[in-house]
Amino acid sequence: MSTPPLSGLKVADFSWVVAGPVVGRALADFGATVVRIESGTRIETARLMQPFYQGRTGRENSALYGTCNAGKYGLALNLKTEEGRAVARDLAGWADVVAESYAPGQMASWGLDYASIREVNPSVVMLSTSLMGQTGPSARLAGYGNIGASVSGYQDLVGWPDQLPIGPFGPYTDYVGPRFSLVVLLAALDHRRRTGEGCHIDLAQSEIGVFLLSPQLADYFDQGTVAQRRGNRDEQFAPHGVYQCLAEHGRDRFVAIAVCDDAQWQALAGQLQRPDLAADQGLAGAAGRLARAEELDVAVAAWTATQRAQDVEARLQAQGVPAHLAVTSADWARDPQLAHRGYLRRLPHERFGAAFVEGPRYLLSETPGQVTRPAPALGQDNEQVLRGLLGYDQARYDRVAASGALA
Amino acid sequence: MGLLNGYRVLDLTDERGLLAGRMLADLGADVVQAEPLGGSRARHAAPLGKRDGQPYSYLWATFAANKRGIAVDLAGEQGRHVLRQLASRADFFIESLGPGVAAAAGLGWTELGEINPALVYATITAFGHDGPKAGYADSDLVVWAAGGPLEPNRDGDRPPLRISVPQAFLNAAADAAGGMLLAHHARARDGRGQLVDVAAQACLSLNTLGRVLADPVGDEHPEWAALISPTARTDQSGSGTGTSSHLKKWRCKDGLVEFHLAIGQAAGPFTNNFFRWMHAEGVGGDSLLRWDWRILPELVDRGEFTEADMQEVRAATAAFLGAKTKSEILQAAISYKLLCIGVSDTADLAHSPQLAGRDFYVTLGSGRRAQTMPGRWATVSIPGFELRRPAPELGEHTDEVLTDWLGYDGPARRSLRERRAVA
Repeated sequence: MSTPPLSGLKVADFSWVVAGPVVGRALADFGATVVRIESGTRIETARLMQPFYQGRTGRENSALYGTCNAGKYGLALNLKTEEGRAVARDLAGWADVVAESYAPGQMASWGLDYASIREVNPSVVMLSTSLMGQTGPSARLAGYGNIGASVSGYQDLVGWPDQLPIGPFGPYTDYVGPRFSLVVLLAALDHRRRTGEGCHIDLAQSEIGVFLLSPQLADYFDQGTVAQRRGNRDEQFAPHGVYQCLAEHGRDRFVAIAVCDDAQWQALAGQLQRPDLAADQGLAGAAGRLARAEELDVAVAAWTATQRAQDVEARLQAQGVPAHLAVTSADWARDPQLAHRGYLRRLPHERFGAAFVEGPRYLLSETPGQVTRPAPALGQDNEQVLRGLLGYDQARYDRVAASGALA
Repeated sequence: MGLLNGYRVLDLTDERGLLAGRMLADLGADVVQAEPLGGSRARHAAPLGKRDGQPYSYLWATFAANKRGIAVDLAGEQGRHVLRQLASRADFFIESLGPGVAAAAGLGWTELGEINPALVYATITAFGHDGPKAGYADSDLVVWAAGGPLEPNRDGDRPPLRISVPQAFLNAAADAAGGMLLAHHARARDGRGQLVDVAAQACLSLNTLGRVLADPVGDEHPEWAALISPTARTDQSGSGTGTSSHLKKWRCKDGLVEFHLAIGQAAGPFTNNFFRWMHAEGVGGDSLLRWDWRILPELVDRGEFTEADMQEVRAATAAFLGAKTKSEILQAAISYKLLCIGVSDTADLAHSPQLAGRDFYVTLGSGRRAQTMPGRWATVSIPGFELRRPAPELGEHTDEVLTDWLGYDGPARRSLRERRAVA
């Protein structure tokens, strides 16, 4: 096995919830030493979020926190104390990368802004990821990702045309932001490798949301088109939707079906046992099908309603028609394709026996990502971080611990 | 100067992967988009407009922007030879042709890795190159269903909903860019390239807020709705999926508002702030201040907050927000620290003072090719981004690239054109 690509890279991860921690998680998977710094008194939001091991709430039980922070060392630090801030400054001096996701201005209030860190660590690469960015009239807008989904256009783009929108599932910009954060951070690290020069990266999660609507924005700038929610319909293809199937164990089940070309339509029509539709010349092309999307949705839904979702998937896929059941967590955990890729990772865990985390989303053939340990319990590695990584002697460590800063 | 100046990227993606190369190009890499002689199928991807009487894809115009373009006969051996030559000079290669397609054209990792052992080769597929579903017919919606974010996103009793702008492959393409740079850091150490295999289905787990882990960790009834509506906890019916997400949406003077009546220690303070704002504006008297939203679940358990109270709160909130504009709400959100914001549509985004203040939009190209679009997606304290050119016209840079990358002279280029290997 080759050396992990980021081994030796030191990361002080001051970020919290999802959009920041997911970046540090990726760095840890590929060999970086990542210290996750958290308040021991003001519990970080992700620790309070579902899902929980055995369904029990508790700050050590969140599987969301677990998957965002696996592989990291955990340090509990009270930044409201001078001793706590002194430790934070030492960490910032030690680190190659400092990551944070506080409201703009918060790090500066602790003396941990880029300008201050750079004085002690000139080539540091700092990532500040926030909802709106560090500058601009709305920089101070507070919020979690559902606010991000509103200010980046997504709340409006999910829903039925005849209803109020419902928005995407969860804080959408928390999912897309870290993907871009990782790319610009790795590019900055490569620049540092080549030139010795560090930098500060200001990434606004809401801007990443808008960036992924680039085609719709260009369309607006060009011809004033305002993008519309359209249920599960597509602009170019029909039938295209999510259809109810037989309920299973008292739970509604659904299958997604997308007919993307004329051959797929013929194959679907054959399965529907609707020779009238199959023979209908008006439906032979995409434009004709789009014009009669409503009628086709009714026909498809009538067919799926009497079958199990996984059977519809199998039948249609056998004919080359794009279809997949809408997976629940239980389906996801048993999905043979995800299992084939080894995506769900099981790790030994002191309290739960086994911890479950998502794997790296990119399979590297020579230096694959490794999840070396589950996410830390709060303050789990205080001594290891201060003594082992920062090199504090026992007396100094004891002094810091006695001051109450490690909480 | 960009952060990735000096690196060459050969990009064979279609609409499922264009974004990855765009990201690297924005950071300064020299990205060459290779298209078949008839043009990329991404040139026909929605949303569509018209320019010069021709269909014009805004997806192509934006996600192929900042790249150079070369047209190559992908179906013929001579064209493929040109691509292999280009790959031998590239630092990165990306493709999204589908399982096995690149390999069948002699452009798989096995072949290109032999020609150029330092190459970082990324492949983007729906499910993967092998495994039981590798051969599945796919589409953005179908991958969204298979990855996890679709099923929980229901509006009442109707089927779950996707985002109306396809997102599955965009997430995968962004992951491919991340994976490529991880492989690049490995190469910086040992000089060796490798395969970066990205499957959109697996990528989408991240878009479920950990919900896909509920079953493995034994959380049988994650009551997500309780985060949305506190009184949903008193609904013993079970699934919680019946609770409408409309509870988060309110009408204001000029559109819609996103506002959770959020509860608990983390988010409850923001709800308290909201009622302080209402109070400061003289609405509702003191009565709306009598609940502490941080401990609302306890109040519900003790019977001190009932469904009737919830109705009262919602009615007062609806009346209050109904008289506000999105802009007034934004100002209040900043000064009172609220989790409450107008729902932006694409017109609002285009005219956002915040985005304008950060120089987010850029116009690339000029004259008939000018196109305004999102530009720099992060702000770096040193020169980091380069936004240079609009999306290429078909074969626009063929000569330039053959010269720059391969050193071909005029006669060599002409001969390739005459043989229809390039255009």
